[in-house]
This record gives sequence, C-alpha cells and structure tokens, in this order.
Amino acid sequence: MNGPDSGGTAVHPVAFEVIRSRLLAITEEMRIALQSVSGSPTVTEASDFFTGLFLPDGSFASMGFQVSFQAPVVGNLIRAVHARPTVEARDGDMFCGNDPFVGALHQNDIQLAGPIYADGRIFAWAGVEAHVTDIGGMDFASWSPNARDVRQEGLRIPCVRLVEGGRMREDILEMILTATRLPAQLNLDFRAFVATINVARERVTELVTRYGASTLSTVMQRMIEVSQKRVEERLRELPDGEFHVVDFLEHDGEANRLYKVDLRMHKRGARMVFDFSGSSPQAPGFINATRSGLEGGVTGALLPMLAYDIPWNQGVVHTAEIVAPDGLICTAQFPAPVGAATVETIWVVSNVCSQALNRLLACSPKYRDRAQAVSDGTMATFNLGGRNQYGEPFGLHLMDPLAGGYAAFAGKDGYEAGGPINSPAPAIADVERNELAAPLFYLYRRLACDTGGAGRYRGGASAEVALTLAGIDEAEALIMTHGAEVPNACGLFGGYPGSTVVQSWASGAAKNGVYSAESQWIHFGPKPGLQRMRIGDVFAATWQGGGGCGDPLDRDPAAVVRDCRNELVSRQAAAEIYGVILNETEFDAEATHTHRASLRAERIRGKCRTADCPPDVETIGEIGHALRLVRVGGEVHIVSRSGATLARGSTRWREGAIRAPFAPSRVLRLHEGLEMSSFYCPVSGELLAVDVHEKGAIPQDDIILELASLGSASQHST
Amino acid sequence: MALYIGTDVGGTFTDLWVSDALGEIRVFKSPTTPDVKTGVIDVLKIAAADRGISFETFCADIVRFGHGTTVGLNALLTGRAARTAVLTTKGFGDTLEIGRMRRQTSGQSEVELTDFALRNRNAPIVPRRLVFEIDERIDSKGNVIKPIDPTQARTALAGLIRANVEAVAVCLLWSTANPAHELTLRELVTEVLPKAFVCLSHELSPLVGEYGRMSTTAANAALGPIAGRYLEALEQTLRAAGMRVPLLMMTNAGGVLPTAAIGDRPAFTLFSGPAAGVVGSSVMGRKLGLSNVLTSDIGGTSFDVGIIAGGKPILRREVSVGGADIRVPSIDVDSIGAGGGSIASVRFGQLTVGPMSAGANPGPVCYARGGVEPTVTDADLLLGILDADNFIGGRMRLDTDAAARAMHDKIARPLGVGTIEAAWGVREVIDSKMADLLRRMTIQRGYDPREFTLFANGGAGPSHAWAFARDLGLHGFVVPAAATAQSAYGCGNADLGVTKECAAYLRVGPGAEPDACAVEAIDEALGRVAGEARVELVRAGAQGEITVERLLAVRFRGQSNVIDVGVDAARFDAGAFRNLANKFEGIYESLFGRGASYGGAGHEIVSARAIARGVLQPPAARAQGTQLESAGVRRVVFNDPAAPVETAIYKTRYPAPDVKIDGPAIIEFPGQSVVVPPRGSATADEFGNLHVSIAL
Repeated sequence: MNGPDSGGTAVHPVAFEVIRSRLLAITEEMRIALQSVSGSPTVTEASDFFTGLFLPDGSFASMGFQVSFQAPVVGNLIRAVHARPTVEARDGDMFCGNDPFVGALHQNDIQLAGPIYADGRIFAWAGVEAHVTDIGGMDFASWSPNARDVRQEGLRIPCVRLVEGGRMREDILEMILTATRLPAQLNLDFRAFVATINVARERVTELVTRYGASTLSTVMQRMIEVSQKRVEERLRELPDGEFHVVDFLEHDGEANRLYKVDLRMHKRGARMVFDFSGSSPQAPGFINATRSGLEGGVTGALLPMLAYDIPWNQGVVHTAEIVAPDGLICTAQFPAPVGAATVETIWVVSNVCSQALNRLLACSPKYRDRAQAVSDGTMATFNLGGRNQYGEPFGLHLMDPLAGGYAAFAGKDGYEAGGPINSPAPAIADVERNELAAPLFYLYRRLACDTGGAGRYRGGASAEVALTLAGIDEAEALIMTHGAEVPNACGLFGGYPGSTVVQSWASGAAKNGVYSAESQWIHFGPKPGLQRMRIGDVFAATWQGGGGCGDPLDRDPAAVVRDCRNELVSRQAAAEIYGVILNETEFDAEATHTHRASLRAERIRGKCRTADCPPDVETIGEIGHALRLVRVGGEVHIVSRSGATLARGSTRWREGAIRAPFAPSRVLRLHEGLEMSSFYCPVSGELLAVDVHEKGAIPQDDIILELASLGSASQHST
Repeated sequence: MALYIGTDVGGTFTDLWVSDALGEIRVFKSPTTPDVKTGVIDVLKIAAADRGISFETFCADIVRFGHGTTVGLNALLTGRAARTAVLTTKGFGDTLEIGRMRRQTSGQSEVELTDFALRNRNAPIVPRRLVFEIDERIDSKGNVIKPIDPTQARTALAGLIRANVEAVAVCLLWSTANPAHELTLRELVTEVLPKAFVCLSHELSPLVGEYGRMSTTAANAALGPIAGRYLEALEQTLRAAGMRVPLLMMTNAGGVLPTAAIGDRPAFTLFSGPAAGVVGSSVMGRKLGLSNVLTSDIGGTSFDVGIIAGGKPILRREVSVGGADIRVPSIDVDSIGAGGGSIASVRFGQLTVGPMSAGANPGPVCYARGGVEPTVTDADLLLGILDADNFIGGRMRLDTDAAARAMHDKIARPLGVGTIEAAWGVREVIDSKMADLLRRMTIQRGYDPREFTLFANGGAGPSHAWAFARDLGLHGFVVPAAATAQSAYGCGNADLGVTKECAAYLRVGPGAEPDACAVEAIDEALGRVAGEARVELVRAGAQGEITVERLLAVRFRGQSNVIDVGVDAARFDAGAFRNLANKFEGIYESLFGRGASYGGAGHEIVSARAIARGVLQPPAARAQGTQLESAGVRRVVFNDPAAPVETAIYKTRYPAPDVKIDGPAIIEFPGQSVVVPPRGSATADEFGNLHVSIAL
C-alpha cells in the first residue's frame, strides 16, 4: 500500500489513521490532566500552556489546542537535553527548564519533558509547558518594568533533571519553590506537570505494546510530513510576492520609547521567509524577546492562519524560514531582560505575521473571505498580590484583558470581546468567581462603545472593567501594557484599527463598593508599573477593539442602526465615521445617501480625477474586494472599483491613491513618534487603507506581488 | 390490563415502549410531527390497535406514562423560543455577550476549534436590546451594597412592556448569597406584566458564576411558555381520553417528575432524550446485576456514549446548545460525529472517516437517493454485514453495485488497494474512533473500561460493537431488547428523581482547622438542599422509600475544576470535613495518578447538591420470544479483507431465553444486525437481551 512517503517503515494507511487519532486523544488527555490539577488561572482559564508529543529530535507531532506561541518551546528543551554531553535522559526521568536563552518564551513559562523508552532507546518525548504566576525575581509576578538585566527577573532553570527514575527530586523542587512568592500554587503546578507526563507515558506505552515503537515513530514522522505537504499545497495556490508590514510597541519599562517590529515576508512557491531585519535594536527593559520568542510569535500566527483545517505540528512550522540578525528587539541577546516578552514583543511579532499572512490570503479569490484584520493586538497586565481577604498570600493574574475585540473578516463582522487568535479557546472567569477568590469588587464589566474598528465589516468591541478592593486594606498592583499609544489592532483594506488601551486610576473614588461621580481620574500611560492599591482606589481599563475591514461608508446602514441600539457604536460615530443619519428608530435613507456622498467627495476635494481604466480589460487577480489586477496591453495595472488606475507594472497601488492625514478618533491615542494616513480612490473617494506609521515616514507598500506568478496561482485556485 | 408506557420524541421518530402487567413488551415507532403531540398520539393509537383495544381503553389502562422529548432542544436550535428579556445588575448587562469568552466550545471537534473563522456562530439567546440593567448591587457575602430603587426599577421595567416580551429572566450578581433583590423584581415584573413567564436565577441555578446562571435562566425563560403549552396540551388530550395518571417527564439528570413539578423548569428536561437512553441501560443493568455499564448508541450521524458507574449515571454540570451554555446537572453523554452516514475520504494519501455525514438525505450511496460519497453503511454492506434485501426489515433495498463503485473510485483507487480492503479500512478507522471515545469517557474519569459491560444501542451499534469492544479489551457486549428504542424504554422505567443544589463556600488552609461558622453553614446548606429535594419528591407523588444522596463540590484551593464528593456523616462538622478531604484526595489520585494530589494547597468547597430518588414499582418481567429463524449463509469480512468467512444468518424479532448460537453469525432484527464474530457466541437472557461474547 502506498501512503504518503516517509523514510521509515511502511505503515498501513488504516493503522496510520488509528494511531494518529490515538496520539491526538493522548494529547487531549494530557491537557485535561494539566488543567484539572493546575492552580494557575493562566492555565485553567487562558489556556496559556502546551501539551504535546515529540520525536527525539524535538519536533512536535501533536499538540493540544492552546496558546499557539508555545508550540516550538518544549522542543528546544528536548534539544538542550540532547546537546549536553553530561546529561543522559534515562527511562523515568523528567527534565525541567524555563530559560529564555535556552528555549522558553520567558521565565514564567515552565516546561517539563520526559523521554519515552521502548526496546532500550528513546523513541519519543512527552512535553508540557505552562505559564505560572510567579517564579521569583525583583518584583511580584516576575516581570518588572525596573529590570535591566535578566538576572533581576525570575529564576532561570536551564535544563534540570527534576524527576529521576520516576521519583521527584524533592530537593530540587524545594530549591525552585524557595524562589517563588506563591509556593503552594507553584507546587500544585509541578504536580500537574508530572501528572501530565505520566498520562502521556502510560498511554503511549500501551500503543507501543500493540503496534511497536518503529511503527509509532513512522506515524509521528508522517503526521509531520502530511501537515507540511498540505500547507505547501495551500501555499502553491497563493500568489508569490513580498508582504511588508510594521507594528510598534511603546515604553520599554525605562522610558516611553517606540519600538518597531518590521516584517518582510517573502512567499515563493511553497516556501515563506519571514525577515525581521528592519526591526528595532533590543531594549534596555523587559519587553524584549529572545530568538525562541520570535519563533513562538511566528508559529502563533502560522498555525491558525494557514493550518486552520490541518493538524498542528512541526510540519506547519517547516514551511517558514526566519531571518533576523542577533540583537534586535525580537532576537535580544543575554543579559537583556525579557520578563514581559509574551505580552510585548512576541505578541507584536504575531500581529505582523498575521497581517502579512492575511494579506497573502486576500490576494486569492479562494481564500480572500478568510482574510481578517488584527484581533486584540495586545494583552494588558493587571496583577494583584499581597494578602487576600482570607489572610493568605495571594497572587492574581487577571485574565479579563484577553477580552479585547475580535477583528472583522473580509466578509463578516468580528465579534465582541472575542479575544486574540493565538488561542483556540481562551476563557476568562466570572465576575463572581473573581470576587470570591480574590479581594476584588467590580463596578462594571461591560462592552465599550466605539472600540471596535470601524469598517464595512466592523471589528468586535472590547470589554472594559472597573475594579476596586474588597475585604482587604491594600495590595500591590502591577499595571502595564503596550498598545495604549499604538493602534496594534490594525484594520484591513480601509477598515479602522480597534481602539487603543486606556488604563486609568482614581484614588479613593469608591466608598463601600459604590463609585462616586466626582472623583479625579488619572490616565496612566502604557506602563505605570507597580502601584500600591488601597481600599477605595478604582482601576479602570478598556482594551483594544478588533480591527475593521473595508470602508466604513460602505457598511450596511441597518447594521449601523443595530450597533447604535446595542450601544456598540455612538450616534456621533454613526454620523461621522459611517455617514449614517439616524432618525428616531431607523436610519434616514435619503439623508444617509447624501451625507455619504458628501463625505466621499470631501475626502478627495481638489484631487479628484476621472476613471481611466479602459473597458473590456482582462482581470487577472484581486487584492481584497476593492482592488483588481488587470492586463492592459502587455502591462498589469491595479484598478479600483471605480476604474481608477492606481499603479502600472507593479502592485504598489498607494502611488496612485490620494493620501491624507488620518485624524485619530476619540478612541485612538497616538505615541508622539507615530502618525496615521488614509489612502483614497481618486475617483470615488473610497477609503482603501488606514496606515499607522512613523512620523514623517511614507507608509510602506504592503503587498508587492510577483506579477509573473499570477497566472499559475489563479489556475490552482479554481 | 395495566400498561406501562415510555415515549421518546426524537427528531425523526417518536418511539413507544409498552409493557403490560404480565410483562409482555412491545416497541412501536411513528414519524414525529411538527406539533409533536400528534406524533405521540399516533404512536399510542398504533399500540392500542396492536393490542386490539380502543385508544380510550388503552389510555385508561395506563398506570405509568414516562415521556422524553427534544421539543425544547429543537426550539432552541431553530430559534423558535419565546421572546425573552433579561434583568440584571447595572454595569453587567453585557454578560451574555462577553460570556467567559469561551462560549459554546464544549463538544467541538478539532477543526471547529482550530478554524477561527467559525468562532461564535450563535448569537446569545437573548439579544442585548432585551437586556435591562437595574441599579442595585449585593456583594459576595450577601451584603446589600446598593439597595434596589423601585422607582428606577419601574422605569427600566417600562421597557419590558414596550418590548412585548413573553418571558423574563432575572439574574442579579450574588443573588445566590442574598436573593432579596431578585424577589423584589419578581413582584415588580408581575405588576407590569402579569402574564409573563418569570424566572429567578437563584431559584433555578443557585450557583456562583453569573454567566452560567444567567444563560441558564434565560434559556429556561425562553422555553417556559413553549414547553409549558405543549406539555399541557398533551396531558389534556390524554386525560380527556381517559388516562388517570400524571405525565412523568424525564429530566436531564435521569429521574422522572410529574409535569406539574417540572413544567416551569424546561431547562431541566432539555436533554431528556439522550438522558433517557442512559437511564434505560442503567435500569436494565440493575436487572442484570451490573453496576458498571458503558452505554453506546450509533445512529446515522453520531456515536453517543454514557457511563453508569456503581449503578449511577455520571453527570456533568453544563451543556451547550444553540447559543446558550446551560448549567443544569445532566447525564453526561459525549458524542462524536461517527455513525452509519459518516463519509470516508482520502486526501494526501490519508484515509479519514467522519465527522462529515451524508445524513438521511441523500444518505449512504447504497440508499440510491443521490449520495455519491462512500459511507460507513456502504462499507458494512460491502463487507457482508448488511443484507441488501433485508435492511430495516426489508423495507428498503440497498444498491450494492453503487456502493462498490463509490468505494472503489473514492477510497480504493487513491489508496492503491482493493475495494473490499478499502471498505475494511473504513470500518477499522471508524471503530477505532469509537473505541477512542469510550476510552476517553472512562479513563479520563478514572475508570478502567474493562471493568464495564458494554451495551450496544442504535441501528448500527450491534454491528460494530464486536470490533470496538475488542479494541477496548472487553470480553463481550450486550444488545438490549429495546436497543432501537432505548430512550423510550428509559422513560418508561425511570425512578422519580430530583436534584437540588446551592452555593456554599468553605476555604481551608493546609492542615488548618476549618472555621466553625463556615462548617456550620455548609451543614446548613446540605440540610437545606436535602430537605428541598425530599419535599419536592413527596410532592411529585413518591411513596415508600426515598433515598437522598448529599454531595459537596471540592477542589484544591486556587483550582477551577471541582470533583463531587459524597457526604456520609449525618452532620457535617470538622471531622466530616477531614474525611471529605481524604476522600477527595483519594479520588483525585485515582484520576490523575499518584503524586498528583497536593494537600499542601488547602481545600475549597464551592457548592452543595442533593439527589433524591423515589422508587417507582417496575413492570413485571416475563420470559417471551421465539427461536431464531435460520436464513442461510453469507460471506462476511471480519479481520482479513482477503479472507471473508462463511457466516450463518439468522432472523428474529425477540429471541427466547434459551437461544444460544456460536459465531461467526449475524442475527438480523427489523432495525439492526447483531454481529457475532468467529470464535464468539451469543445467548439470550430472560429479558430478551442478547449477550455476545468475543474471543480476545
């Protein structure tokens, strides 16, 4: 029987599918063991963890449905074990690590990996990784804006045998627990890790008994090959070209400096090269990512964007090559602090990768409806520590900031409080559960008006909260984010970005759980850092809405009416951004039509020109819904829906569009180093792009297709 | 003569199980009708005609009428629920929208989870514009932080009248700690909307966690007017025809209750169909002296599994359906898209089967209704398991040639194998998926599947059970006499059952003595739910012995998952707490392995639950049935596609107790084919169940 070719033993296709399903079921059992035993909300709610089965070389053959940044990490630990001549992985051993300079994303991500033996040799590994709330360091939660050196942050565990021959090395565990502020919680997490690896070992060993180790190895290799083949097949359906996107993050813990993550993604045939060479140098503070963080960020976008219907494993990652010199914000060198890497640089790396991949998808008629703007471009932090209402030491890592908006697609709205795409099933706790477990009192948790990026399809609104203490007099709060002055949740094809983060504080504003209206609000910047929170102090936060898609003036007015009724869009925004004139209950069709026409005319006043695309031209491709590639004579032109020729001989269409400054709306705040530009069709005034860029710079051309490749790619797509 | 009736209204058929006082048993089916009631009456009339008596006489003879239905489920899934408003605390009106972010992810497949474009397909059950905020607030201890202001509340309620709603769900923060504000609102709502169906969250789902409580209350309110109307109409018709006993409704948790006791809580009967199937197996298990039973049911599109451990079905806390996460104790039925209609395909050299299904229309290729994708049923036909001329009792002829063509073109050729080998591969893949689900359902909960007896239900269950039972290391399986109407059987044989729960909180540090007041509060909570459950059961007509089981939901401090632990001591005190903690850690280690538990984390108790059961007199049982009728031999593929085995074929409707045959054999019932593999054997028992043993 000829199945997919792999170097190893021939495996019957039926056995292959049976073993593959069993391996996925085992990975799922690992997840259940971990989530059931762990005491960390990052694990039990946010799914910020990873469970997987690996080949001896550290490639993962299966993973659970968790935060996709974490996919490559445990493999690095396995490779580190193999690379140490003094370390031998014996049957029953488990190795622990968390060092970002070995392979973790940051020190909070603790990993445990155990070899699985058969016939006296290692034929697979089981691995687990999870974010723990505190692993020591100068400040609570192990990420500190004050750190200037990784040695000030959480304990680093390079590659340590924690379980030897099936027995926990309690002395080593004690040493690790001594470093943390939350030993009971961390102890529970370590028990969870051991339980997870035990489950995997037992189940895989049962499979070995039935099918033999070499068959299992072959199946795992082939799973990886098949996923790679399927992604490659998909890539061949898409046109070749370069996709150039830039995203920013502000404040490095020391000062409110602006950093850039610059991605040029070259796609040719079935290969992708992600080139980050243009990114900023590493920062003095904790926002940096190491190279393993960079790999995590790229993987975090690749898996959901290109492998949404393909099993997630190393094969998907094999299709991408990363180019980035040492010493960048995303390839920081020792001893750079990296404590907040996951929510800072890695998150932004994932933003640019998803932007590039979405642009790639948008250039194919088959995939363009899957193209999405950026969801929830940041994850703000609110950590609270001290003694809780029960007199116990506690550490809360609030997961509510995950509830940012989900971005719009090219053909449908995003949804409210949908969160990021880097986790298939994120969750936040009920208000009541948080109030019971932690000394918190919510004044509100609700959706925030106008936060979803405007567009023909609207980005989802973000949630917002206001909190105060209850049952205790004071606690220590760590407050930080990026994206308070950078609209990371960028829109697509004329969609507006989602709102920027707002974090504010009112001292003594709540009395007995009731908020007093005349209190003074302080608007924090992105990283106020550690704050002493006293009873009565109120912290309020609104996160990023999802990016919108397409020109807001093209949105169905009935949808705008519905949004207004649900208080997700204000009447002001309805008129100014969407051009919809509301009457008592519905919209005024005639007034709306007139108003929209005048807004479009206003955009291009004095620069308006007439359509110049000849009729009867051959359409050879599309970029989103608004731009067409046509052949005129021997040349390829980019043409708007209204027939304006924007570029000739290349897809650099911005040169023919009308650029104007974009005035940030009420929900967008811009860093002093940034500005925004709009690009309009010179014939119709249709909004084609909203770009965020460095002040004084010209926005980059984001889609540069290789015109020669177009014919072959579009054939594939039929 | 006294008649015991069980009915189950499914999407396609309404099933009826009937037993008379002598233990004579019959099963009938009739198409489900859009109004539901007519389908039930139709099948009763068929049964009456079969007994040769009038419909009225039949109704008058009924001594028990158990009922299960998917009416509520269908109303939710098709958006036909009543127009409902939600009242909640000011500042939290978006709770249904925000959810816990993770809305409706339970039970999703691999692809549904990873394909982010499919997220959030269902809107919340109540749209935002029908959610009204009330200016009030209670804290976690039940203190009134902001008193309710009747004037503000009346202003907000004015919106209810304008919105023209039929039902109102009230869910305020911490109403579980202090219900005063919800009670006030009920009065105010009744003032302005006297006819509305009003539902308070602390009464319906009194647990901490506002999203689950609100979503459950909203779903219940939305179903209230519909389910109430339908049950009333059915009961009236039956009573008019002469029935003298109340209609007993199956609940999600597997007990029956009179409609009067459950009519205002339709969320508790939403999953009565699947629950009744498990109850049926549980009842039969008890008769056979089996306390550990795995129930499996293979229909056209799905494979459903439930577990009965120690004589009790395993429950889950929450179920998701059509935009609502419903937090009601329910029999845990897990399901995967694997059934007779599951489609097989080859992509990139890889053979996959399901979860896509050809359904009933067009159905498998062999149905010749336009299906072109080969399915599991097509494979079964090609392997000789099914008889083209005797499918569903010969009412449908199957097209073997078409099935073979599709199997060859779509599977065999791309894989480079023969058609029969391809069909065998399809069956191997689907059977191993089923074994995986059974394994996940048991091992994940700390049970060894080999300590269970497998019951094979549904049309396709008895033909696949031998394969997945063997995969699990089981020595055999049972085909219940009512395998094709197991839910109706469950409805007709269930005991009365009430589950009551409430929030209760105790937090104890490692090694510390629990706070005496808090322990007393737990004792009080346990006493309250147990008392309520008992009272409700008596009100439902329970006579004789009532058993009340008391449980606490326990976890290690800081965890989010809980485990239900039974409380044996009459009074819950510090000593009882220590026993509870030890018992919890024991269960824990059995679930997650030695070393996984860590008492140093301390413990939390988060809720109390009581399950009261009242035994209903079961119908008598009597040996009946006939000998098997031999119907020749057929070549059937078992383990080796290249070597089909000459297999004896038998026909029967109801096997007599002394029937015993050796494999290989296929026993064809009107709606199912039981496969007895080579070296296996089958014997019938006094209840008409077929026990198939297989050689491992």
